[in-house]
Amino acid sequence: MPKNNYELTYVINGVLNDDQIRGLVNRVTKFIDENDGHIIETDEWGTKRLAYQIRKKRNGYYVNLYFEAEGELIARLERALTLEDDILRFLTLKMDSKMLAHYHEQKESARKSALEAADVAAKKAAEEEEEDDEDEDDYDDEEDEDDDE
Amino acid sequence: MAKSRFEPDQIDFVDYKDIDFLKRYLNEQGKILPRRITGVPQKFQRQLTQAVKRARHLALLPFVSDNVR
Repeated sequence: MPKNNYELTYVINGVLNDDQIRGLVNRVTKFIDENDGHIIETDEWGTKRLAYQIRKKRNGYYVNLYFEAEGELIARLERALTLEDDILRFLTLKMDSKMLAHYHEQKESARKSALEAADVAAKKAAEEEEEDDEDEDDYDDEEDEDDDE
Repeated sequence: MAKSRFEPDQIDFVDYKDIDFLKRYLNEQGKILPRRITGVPQKFQRQLTQAVKRARHLALLPFVSDNVR
């Protein structure tokens, strides 16, 4: 059976405490894992203010995850999510080639900016070293000349 | 100026998670601006509409802005 890539975002009732949220997130993760799904990445955005009230709640805990699964799983997953009282909203999307490209691009840019942050520090050190090197070269030349003489 | 506000940086895929980007194409009431005003390609407008509606479903964007309610 061919597997597809999916993206799932769901919103948990913000009134729950951390343990309850953790339990719910684990339950969803386990459900996908146990049903031949393979989770690629989970990204928890944390508690955010909802743009409008849902069931009188003003805050929600956002979880965004990417997984690989057979299409047949999605219907069951969505039913399981509907049955969870504390999941306010969810959105499952099948990732087409454009979405996948966008996803990889985003990861790449995230990785790059992380690298850049590390690079800036490294570059600073390198630049200082370079300056040192130049100085050293000058010294070397002088030293050589000195040696010749 | 106004033109640069609407100039899309990418047309391949409009991400419903990028709220700040989507907000550039909404008016103060949270309505999607028509293409007549933004002048973006039709392909982009279609993807934009889809993305805004997804974001609204997840309560990332309002259906109606608070200042109007």
